[in-house]
Amino acid sequence: MIKVEHLYKSFGDLHVLKDICLDFEPGKCNMIIGASGSGKTVLLKNLIGLMSPDSGEIWYGGQKLSEMDYDEKKALRQKIGVLFQGSALFDFETVLGNVMFPMNFFTDWSREQKIERAKFCLDRVNVKGADDRYPSELSGGMQKRVGIARAIALNPDFLFCDEPNSGLDPYTSNLIDKLIHGITEEYNITTVINTHDMNSMLEIGDHIEFLYNGSILWKGDRHSILGTDCSELRTFVGANVLARNII
Amino acid sequence: MLKRFLESVGRYCLFLRMVFRKPEKWRIFWKQFVIETDKLIISSILIVGVISLFIGGVLVIQTASNMSNPMLDRMLVGYMVRETLVLEFCSTVVALILAGKMGSNIASEIGSMRISGQIDAMDMMGVNSAGFLVLPKVMSATLLSPLLMMFSFVLGLLGGWGVVELTEIIPASKYITGIKYAYNGFYVVYSGFKMALFCFLISSISAYNGYYAAGGSLGVGESSTKSIVITSILILLFDLIVTQLMLY
Ligand SMILES: Nc1ncnc2c1ncn2[C@@H]1O[C@H](COP(=O)(O)OP(=O)(O)OP(=O)(O)O)[C@@H](O)[C@H]1O
Ligand SMILES: [Mg+2]
Repeated sequence: MIKVEHLYKSFGDLHVLKDICLDFEPGKCNMIIGASGSGKTVLLKNLIGLMSPDSGEIWYGGQKLSEMDYDEKKALRQKIGVLFQGSALFDFETVLGNVMFPMNFFTDWSREQKIERAKFCLDRVNVKGADDRYPSELSGGMQKRVGIARAIALNPDFLFCDEPNSGLDPYTSNLIDKLIHGITEEYNITTVINTHDMNSMLEIGDHIEFLYNGSILWKGDRHSILGTDCSELRTFVGANVLARNII
Repeated sequence: MLKRFLESVGRYCLFLRMVFRKPEKWRIFWKQFVIETDKLIISSILIVGVISLFIGGVLVIQTASNMSNPMLDRMLVGYMVRETLVLEFCSTVVALILAGKMGSNIASEIGSMRISGQIDAMDMMGVNSAGFLVLPKVMSATLLSPLLMMFSFVLGLLGGWGVVELTEIIPASKYITGIKYAYNGFYVVYSGFKMALFCFLISSISAYNGYYAAGGSLGVGESSTKSIVITSILILLFDLIVTQLMLY
């Protein structure tokens, strides 16, 4: 359960987020959609504490993020899995090493157990036979999938994905969507996904927030999005050929 | 200007506090320590060795040609070369070379991890990124660099001896007597301490600059240049301070 109250963030004169209020529930794929540059990544970074808001509060369960001390933050972060927009895999580790990295720190598993778990995660995102390769030797889409495997390595309670399927082919993209949706329901994870991919929204958008120029203009889900009467959202959605034929 | 300087110093101190937090797992720390030792210390052996050999040789020729007065015992050449090497060359000059080599390596490595989001990713896992990435580097550079200084000292003397043997600029036996003459072990301690201090400055300041790099690949380049300039100046400044404190 994540709750955001009246969040503001600006960079100098650029007001990126204005009065954002959100509620994200566990077991659901919560989506933040919006055009490029609308502030999705900035919002996500505020949510996970990599940036601090100018004002406003973020609640994890019953706790304010801004009032947590170092150890509380650390404990919370072990329950958070993040997939960054640029994957952010560690150059100095192999694919397997990347997925095992959080396990090395926060579990007492034996090496065999860690490898087994890592292989299981890699299997779920459909990365096979690349265990010993380094991130620089992978395609962008593969990096993304390894990033997801790393994010789910420790069975997080909260999963944040910044554009999990940009740069992927439609088939893999769909596979990733279903994977995220699957584990979200299976483990009752509070999942937050940034995306501007129509397909994902319609496939797994249990709860959708439309970010426009730094404000939330519309809330809904995958069933209501095509029938919306919010004109900005209609323009955004209508850019997709298939969707245009429906709305 | 002064405000910015004080701000940086404050941020550097906070950064060090983060670096010196107790590691999550000592096993991971030691593994990184070995990797960093290879990258920072072992890989510097060759360049330090070559430079020391040559400087040792050159010092012998210069000293000998400046002491042509027949009243002076030729063994003093060996003595003076030894003192120059141990007092200044093996710590300060070698540290200035390492400021370039180690400093740019550390700043650019950590800087590129910062701009590609890898440090964010680490922080988000709950890993103390500064501790994990920087502590092994600082410890390895600080604790093991005195060995590099001794190595440089030995090779410098060897280089001098090589020149003596080849050119017979002074009798080899005089050179050997000279480098044994009035040996003061404290100078080696002093020099080793200086080296450790300099390498602490090099590793921590370069890491700091890399850690807070911003502005894409240009920022990484800038952080690496800045590190070298700042550490070089600080090395000379602390050389003066430490020498005043320890030798006077
Ligand atoms: N560190 C920063 N400093 C200054 N401005 C920033 C910073 N980060 C983001 N911005 C600005 O905030 C705005 C929103 O950026 P953001 O990255 O959140 O967009 P986005 O919605 O994620 O876009 P995309 O879909 O392309 O990833 C942009 O105008 C960007 O220029
Ligand atoms: Mg983005």
